[in-house]
Amino acid sequence: MRVLLLILTMLLTLGAVDAFAPSLAIADPIPAQAVNKPTRVNITKRSPHSDKIESKDTGMALLFWGFAAATLGGALFVVTRRNLIAAVMGMVGCFLGISAVYMMLYASFLSVIQMLVYAGAIMVLFVFVVMILNRPEDEPVAPTGRAGQAIGGLAIVYLVGRLIFMLMKVQPPNPLTAVQAPAPIELPGDILNTTEKVDWGSVKAVGWDLFGPGLFVFEAISILLLIAVVGAIAVARPLHEDQNNAGEPRDIPRDEAATNAEAAHSGGHA
Amino acid sequence: MSDILFNVGYGHFLVLAALLFLIGTAGVLIRRNALIILMSVELMLNAANMTLLTFSRMWGDISGHTFALIVIAVAAAEAAVGLAIVVAVFRGRRNVDVDRLTTLRH
Amino acid sequence: MDYSTLKFLGLPVLAWIPLLPLLGAFINLTLGRRLSKATIHTIAIAAVAGACGLSMWLVFGELWKAFKAGQGGVGIAQNVYTWIEVGNLKVELAFRLDTLSAVMIMIITFVGTLIHIYSTGYMAKDPRYAAYFGYLNLFTGAMLILVLAANLPVMFIGWEGVGLCSFLLIGFWYEREDYATAGRKAFIVNRIGDFAFLLGMFLLFWATKTLDFAQLKGTAVGAAYVQPFWGGERLAAAAAICLFIGACGKSAQLPLFTWLPDAMAGPTPVSALIHAATMVTAGVYMVCRLSFLFSASTTAMIVVATVGLLTALAAAFMAFAQTDLKKVLAYSTVSQLGFMFVAAGTGNWVAAIFHLGTHAFFKACLFLGAGSVMHGMEHGGSKTPGDITTMGGLRKHMPITRITFMISCLAIAGIFPFAGFFSKDEILAGAWGVHPPGWPLWYGKFLWGGLLIAALGTAFYMWRLYFLVFSGNERSEEAKHAHESPASMTMPLVILALLATLAGLLGFPHLTGIKLPSFTHALSSWLAPSVTPTWWNPGADGVNPGELIAGHASDPTILGLAAVALFIGALGIGMAWALYGRGPSAAVNRLVDGPLAGAYEASKAKLWFDEIYDALIVKPFKIFASGLYTVVDKLIIDTIAVNGAAVVVGLFSRMSRWFQNGQVQRYLAGLVVGAALVFFVTDWHQDPSFKYEIVGDRLKLTAEPGEGLLGATTKLRWDIDGDGVPDADASGKPYEAPQVFVLLGDTRTRVTLFIDDPITRKTKKVTRVLHVPTVVDPASGDGTPVVKEGT
Repeated sequence: MRVLLLILTMLLTLGAVDAFAPSLAIADPIPAQAVNKPTRVNITKRSPHSDKIESKDTGMALLFWGFAAATLGGALFVVTRRNLIAAVMGMVGCFLGISAVYMMLYASFLSVIQMLVYAGAIMVLFVFVVMILNRPEDEPVAPTGRAGQAIGGLAIVYLVGRLIFMLMKVQPPNPLTAVQAPAPIELPGDILNTTEKVDWGSVKAVGWDLFGPGLFVFEAISILLLIAVVGAIAVARPLHEDQNNAGEPRDIPRDEAATNAEAAHSGGHA
Repeated sequence: MSDILFNVGYGHFLVLAALLFLIGTAGVLIRRNALIILMSVELMLNAANMTLLTFSRMWGDISGHTFALIVIAVAAAEAAVGLAIVVAVFRGRRNVDVDRLTTLRH
Repeated sequence: MDYSTLKFLGLPVLAWIPLLPLLGAFINLTLGRRLSKATIHTIAIAAVAGACGLSMWLVFGELWKAFKAGQGGVGIAQNVYTWIEVGNLKVELAFRLDTLSAVMIMIITFVGTLIHIYSTGYMAKDPRYAAYFGYLNLFTGAMLILVLAANLPVMFIGWEGVGLCSFLLIGFWYEREDYATAGRKAFIVNRIGDFAFLLGMFLLFWATKTLDFAQLKGTAVGAAYVQPFWGGERLAAAAAICLFIGACGKSAQLPLFTWLPDAMAGPTPVSALIHAATMVTAGVYMVCRLSFLFSASTTAMIVVATVGLLTALAAAFMAFAQTDLKKVLAYSTVSQLGFMFVAAGTGNWVAAIFHLGTHAFFKACLFLGAGSVMHGMEHGGSKTPGDITTMGGLRKHMPITRITFMISCLAIAGIFPFAGFFSKDEILAGAWGVHPPGWPLWYGKFLWGGLLIAALGTAFYMWRLYFLVFSGNERSEEAKHAHESPASMTMPLVILALLATLAGLLGFPHLTGIKLPSFTHALSSWLAPSVTPTWWNPGADGVNPGELIAGHASDPTILGLAAVALFIGALGIGMAWALYGRGPSAAVNRLVDGPLAGAYEASKAKLWFDEIYDALIVKPFKIFASGLYTVVDKLIIDTIAVNGAAVVVGLFSRMSRWFQNGQVQRYLAGLVVGAALVFFVTDWHQDPSFKYEIVGDRLKLTAEPGEGLLGATTKLRWDIDGDGVPDADASGKPYEAPQVFVLLGDTRTRVTLFIDDPITRKTKKVTRVLHVPTVVDPASGDGTPVVKEGT
């Protein structure tokens, strides 16, 4: 039953996305003539982000609020569920929402990467570990230390308020470009003295930046990943031969050769 | 009010990222299960990513995307190692409750 | 040869007189435990004998010459070094040997030597032999400093020193609680007197800016003595009375005498030296030394004389019922000191010193004799050797002691020709003949009568003592086994008894009719240059002293008074013989249980002085002290300050410990809280900015200087035309309001808001590029201003 509901929701979401697809397209920039002609422009700005544009953006708003709700809902799941698997599932939902939000920010490459790496790989890892630790129950919130929790909670609420307040005042450098799709990036083309325009946030654009100015970072991150892999293996290995991954003793079929070899070894030492 | 609701601007993304970050922080502070703590840390990292991408869009600078990619890679590495440690600890103590994983005398 | 500059080993020769005993004390007290008994007492006796020899050499040599030349009052003055020099105050460590101090040092060193010799026998079996002799030498040195001092501070050094040694020696056997308490009592009561001494010293310095005796005696300073001070009294009265109270403490007068009877807890030679011959006479010496001061105030002298008389009578009364041998002698000392003070109070300085000398001899002899008796009784096995009720009949066992004791008792009773007769007679004659300007005319006779009664009492109780100890039959087994003391103890007794017999020859009264050999007036003529026998009376001629204090009586008066004194003495002896001649008789018991019961009780209880002091002074003081202890010491200092500091530290540590408990989550929580705090705090200096909007045809500029307190108190100024200078409107008023209305055409694109921060005194400028139209197109025509976007 729950599975059906989940599938239904996903279909609806996709449909909504489809319905409002035109608004995701690159909106045309304001025609140049508009600059010369006196236009009735309401320049009363009550907040920096309230510029009205021609294109419909109520769809955008709906999408945003929906996926934001998914993100935050998933995050709250993680933080409040007692059941580890439920928490993991909440996390996955959160990542879905985040991926969609990335798409709204014209970060297409990263949106896909987010799904692949985070929801695909990291969450699977988490699920594996949850399987190993088959201890589901614990109090979500510690019963002791209420004073500390209260103070911390208060601090967090305050930070939320302050951050929101501050962030709502952030101004883009050029408000007119805020509502448009970002300009394409000009990359040096295959032939000399030509430039190639690639979409902003696309694979090519990110790739150009990663392997260009960010080459050192790329190499460094690869070393980091190597270290992480080695470290994870080293740490997670069972200590003794007769322990499995969960730390429970396991039977090792002993064969005669190994036993004799051992005896000879220890006899030689003594 | 309606313009905040209907006109999605950069602030909305930033606020969403901030909320996500704070939920992650709350999770780290409040929960006792080590796995949940790790997941909350992932939440915080994602929030940071979102902020990065928002500002990258705002200033038109593509290197924000690169940065976010690196952050994802680092988060993955960290999750791997962290989970390995949790497994190792669980092996020894049969317990991943951080309140009980203390050898410091109270 | 000018002896004033005579030095030995770098120090003036006078300084060596007290220095020798002090050196002996130093050696004995530091190294004494390793030395043998013989070495110890040899060092001690040599020190005192050396001081004796040196003083004799100086006195009979140089001082004699000076006396002959008429400079006896000046004598030899030597300065060791300048001790204090602060502002007006200049005090030198100076010594002066004039005729008065010469008498004193002879007595001190000679009697001291004898007592040191006596102590070798008396303290032979004491384990702290070296300490005893060390203290004894220390005392002698301090006393010599006191006597040889040329100014009041140096005298005070000696004054305190003898007080200290008195404490050390009285409580010598400190293992017994009551002996140690007696030592403390002596010191504390002395201290009260010392405080008065200091007050007198301060008063004198304040009035005369000097503390040196020679300068204080001078006529230049004397004018200060007659300045009115308080009420109708002269300054001299106040200073002299303060100093006299100090003397009361030291010389055991009323009301500060309670320590002397208890001081008998010390070894008997100590009692002989300190409480008979030397320390208690320091007060008398001081009064005589300051005779010029006392002669300036009749009030002071009447106080001195009255206190002396009352003491003499009271002490004599208390001695009647005592049963401890040494206690009787102690009260006798107090009484005789009263005599001396009466003499001083009547201006008869010579008589006071004379009696001081003779008293030293016979009282020392009495004390040493008592020591000898107690020594013998201890040998006989007595546990309370001083209890006279267990004695009796000792004349058979201790003949030498008995003879010397008897001679001294005759002397103290004032029987011719022993020394006491002459000295006591001098005092009585002087009291009879005194006629001071401010006294009631009959007061001299009154003093004479009182002293006569006291003399009667003296004779009575001393001979009661003699008879109870030596006459009759032995009243206990221990008395039967008593025996004579060794020669080291009887030798000094004999010498002192001899002195008690012969010393009177130096002080015959001045009889105009009979020609007496000159040596009989030796003492008075010797002392005359050093004391002031006349009233200080700046009369019409300014500074000349007035008449004699005590008039010179005629020969028949003198002889008549002497006869009366002799008769009284004999009467006392007779009464004692009647009641105690062969031991306590039945008559005594009848009297004591019958008509004299109340008096007997009062006498035995020492007139309840100790009990009164205990209730009035000691108990309130103890309550106060215990109150201070509980409140200030235990509560405020211990609990609140010391423990409280620890509690506060513990509190803070408990609070910090909550924070650092090893859990990462706790640390992260701190991090979050810290971040929130940082946000909170930096909030107040949020970056300012301003808003603008078009209202009608005007531009409305609204300043946002920042959150918090700053917003209300900052000063704002606007620069509209982009030149960097704050502007004013058309009428000349500067733009300073948070909200400013400007005509659209008046602005450039860059508008600057100047914010003057009142706290940091800095001016912040916020410049914004306004996207406002600068051109109004009149072509639209519907009345609403249609504007064009400009940059």
